[in-house]
Amino acid sequence: MSVEMTAEPSTPKLATAGDYVELLKPRIMMLVVFTALAGLVAAVGVTGQAINPVLASVAILAVALGSGAAGAINMWYDADIDAVMTRTSTRPVPSGAVPKDEALTMGLIMSAVSVLLMWIASNVLAAGLLALSIAYYGWFYTMVLKRRTAQNIVIGGAAGAFPPVIGWAAVTGNTPLDAWILFAIIFFWTPPHFWALSLVAHKEYEKAGVPMLPVTNGAKATRDQILIYTLLLAPIGLAPLLTGLGGWVYGAVGVVLTLGFIFFAAKVWRSEAGEADAGDAERKLAMGMFAFSIFYLFGLFAALIIERGFGLYFPLGGL
Amino acid sequence: MVDTVPTAAAPEASLQLKAQKRRNLWLALALVAFVVTVGVTTAVRIQETDFSGGDRLYFSGYLDEAEKEQADREAVERYEAMRAEEAAQTQAAVTEPAEAAETPESGDE
Repeated sequence: MSVEMTAEPSTPKLATAGDYVELLKPRIMMLVVFTALAGLVAAVGVTGQAINPVLASVAILAVALGSGAAGAINMWYDADIDAVMTRTSTRPVPSGAVPKDEALTMGLIMSAVSVLLMWIASNVLAAGLLALSIAYYGWFYTMVLKRRTAQNIVIGGAAGAFPPVIGWAAVTGNTPLDAWILFAIIFFWTPPHFWALSLVAHKEYEKAGVPMLPVTNGAKATRDQILIYTLLLAPIGLAPLLTGLGGWVYGAVGVVLTLGFIFFAAKVWRSEAGEADAGDAERKLAMGMFAFSIFYLFGLFAALIIERGFGLYFPLGGL
Repeated sequence: MVDTVPTAAAPEASLQLKAQKRRNLWLALALVAFVVTVGVTTAVRIQETDFSGGDRLYFSGYLDEAEKEQADREAVERYEAMRAEEAAQTQAAVTEPAEAAETPESGDE
């Protein structure tokens, strides 16, 4: 056996397993998997259609892989702007731990594997929706919207809204109104969630040339939009009560969380968050809203899982 | 065939090689996991699929609602026909011994 080695000074850092995990954006993946699981459990509870636990597990695994694949493609394409921003400069590609082409290859292979697994485990509709959501995030949001328009988060939010619809379709083979209500909740939740963060990180986005709303329209317009989208989200978040998808548990959790979200949005709206002379209190307030928005979405979907998955559904009435 | 390991770069090259081997191992494990997942999933699907009823193994999602409704109707009709046949057989099984009991053997007369 012959070993030929030469020094590779161009590789500044050795990749660890953690770097490859980070490439898949694990925090986003957790939320994606959780909302897909909620869609799946709700579909079983509402329609009474059963799904084999093995197939359900593989379907959820496929969603996780698809999310990771889209994340890897996003990191491949955004390596240049990630390197400019302090918050993202330590990511695996800009830090040099994972070569760019390797991130792209991993993303593409995982995309194919995830769609194939979804098709094998469930049906062509769920697999098609998964492929669409990967393309939506990896291509449409990352390569088309993100660097072109301040509405990038609004339009791109659809990518993250697909998982519950995919979970539902994996069980039933169709996507009724209830599945699209779950889609709408995440779609209208995404702008206030990300704009709260961008109020804090707008200088970074400006440095990288990403046209986030605070960069293009200023902090005041962003705070206005956060409040508007939160008020739009409020009735949509409670819409499952009208269709009978959500019962008493969802209703109780939903009302409390919705009031909390509006409270935070109103406080941010009245504050100077995102302004050049904003202090630490404003920064904390915006980050508080960002954290609460994650809690809000987690709470709503957890209530749905508890009701529909653990036999705690008590109807409120419904249409 | 020459083993060339430049002394200055040896520690770094050795680390690179170790990292590469570790990646290869993970890739191999991922490949095995993929094969096992596909195998188990296929086995479960084959067990659960009613091929006689027109189910298609990897295309059970109906894009066309009318097609799904038609398939559902046919499935219900098949089920009802099966139940009717079972009921007829049960009825026949109950009736035959009763008739046999009512009709005395010719030798007894």
